[in-house]
Amino acid sequence: MPREAEPSINERAFVLQALEENIRLDGRALDAFRDIDISFGDDYGVADVQLGKTRVLTRISASIVAPYPDRKFDGVFVIITELSPLASPAFEVGRQSDLETHLSRILETTLRRSQAISTESLCLVAGQKVWSLRADIHILSHCGNLVTAASLATLAALRQYRIPDTSIKGGELTVYTPLERDPIPLALLHHPLCITLNYFENGEKMIVDATLQEQQCSEGEVVVAANPQGEVCLVQKGGGGEVDALVLLRAVDMAVGKVRELGKLVDRALEKDSKMRDKGGISAELSAENER
Amino acid sequence: MVNVTLSPLYRADGSATFTSNGYSVIAAVNGPIEVQRRDELPEEAAIDVAIRPAAGVGGVRERHLESIIQNTLRHVILVSAHPRTLIQITLQIVASQDDSLYPGNLPQAASNVPVLPALLQASILALLSASIPLSMTLTATLISVKENGGVAPSPSAQDLEAATSIHVLAFSSHGDLLVVESEGYFTMDTWEKVYAKARLICHGEKEEDSESEDLSMDTEEVTKLEDILKDAVRQKVAAEYRWKQSPDSAAT
Repeated sequence: MPREAEPSINERAFVLQALEENIRLDGRALDAFRDIDISFGDDYGVADVQLGKTRVLTRISASIVAPYPDRKFDGVFVIITELSPLASPAFEVGRQSDLETHLSRILETTLRRSQAISTESLCLVAGQKVWSLRADIHILSHCGNLVTAASLATLAALRQYRIPDTSIKGGELTVYTPLERDPIPLALLHHPLCITLNYFENGEKMIVDATLQEQQCSEGEVVVAANPQGEVCLVQKGGGGEVDALVLLRAVDMAVGKVRELGKLVDRALEKDSKMRDKGGISAELSAENER
Repeated sequence: MVNVTLSPLYRADGSATFTSNGYSVIAAVNGPIEVQRRDELPEEAAIDVAIRPAAGVGGVRERHLESIIQNTLRHVILVSAHPRTLIQITLQIVASQDDSLYPGNLPQAASNVPVLPALLQASILALLSASIPLSMTLTATLISVKENGGVAPSPSAQDLEAATSIHVLAFSSHGDLLVVESEGYFTMDTWEKVYAKARLICHGEKEEDSESEDLSMDTEEVTKLEDILKDAVRQKVAAEYRWKQSPDSAAT
């Protein structure tokens, strides 16, 4: 398998010198994102996010399983990331790379540990039957900043997903098909997103949404996960270089601003999608969701 | 109904998406690349096919489909042109028909074959996009046989459930039969009918000696699959060679 090509010394010097003059090779401002396109599939729970040339597709699926014996009231929520040669020839089939572990850990903390999805709402019959929710994250094209693209795709897919409606009568569980009863949205408590900031010049300079080349030239990265309300779910710094505490605080501030920006983008994409699905304007009547 | 995109991915050497009849597949081809020692073949390129299901991890079904595709493509790709290298084909299933059938279960198809035509088609398009030398192209189609013996092209999920047998047939660009995968109970006569219909869909012209009286009954215009592929490639080439056109010829 070929290895990912490292930028040459000249290339590296070029990128770094340009950054010193606050110029990025694609002409963006230091805190600007590449073009973001969020689209949804025909089925519920499929989101395809394009962030410049990076492309991630997330698919949510649900099945009914027995809960873990020590957590009788909690449903199961798993996130699976697998990098394949689709994304880059450097990825091998069936071997876990460091990047993959990094990615799945960050998403795990952002979405699961922050209780973004309440696993209790996935419980059907305590101790016997719960929903097992599964997010398959397919990385289709790896051109830098996988973390943000994957978290955007997963959040958009979770927010758009509709789980089949169920009812329990006399201890018997019935699962309804979409034709019988309209499926219901998931109970998401908040909507966290991840922002990656790559730092240069001993942590003095931070850039948002690095391309693969910028990522390879950078001294390290800081991942900040937060929700649009400004609550920080995760801060992770990697790469080895030193970063001043104050700079890190500034980075978190900046990331929260970016999360709000991206959150609005997801809102807009979802609104557009629901309008497209709501042909004839009858979805409000069909909905089985309880008023809160 | 059939939707083809060439080279949608940036990092792979060649890629394609193929959407038809509720199935959608993204294929990527990398090659010829360095091959691992144990897979190396002294006189030809090794071909590696990996199928990734839309949800869940690949199992026996995926391995089975991989072996069918690998064995087909080994004869389509000019493997002797690149000895001691690897041509790696990755197929990502994006959507399949049986997703919506069983709520509360992982979307896992009951049968093996219905996704096969989309996989074959996507992989051949990705190979074209990667400019891997091929001896021919291929087209594949899915046909189900109803209980009354009627032949139904591009069946829906419900049709597949009700069918007595389902068949996947692939034809080369010369009109020769390359792949046959059949499931269910059927007679040789039914198979002949299926063959004639599939050939009509994939390759266009009927065989001279086929008894296709019942085929002429449905006179609906079938667009040949081969033409759809040709059009997709032609459009891609035209778009890529736009710079070569003189401004006045582009205007006309």
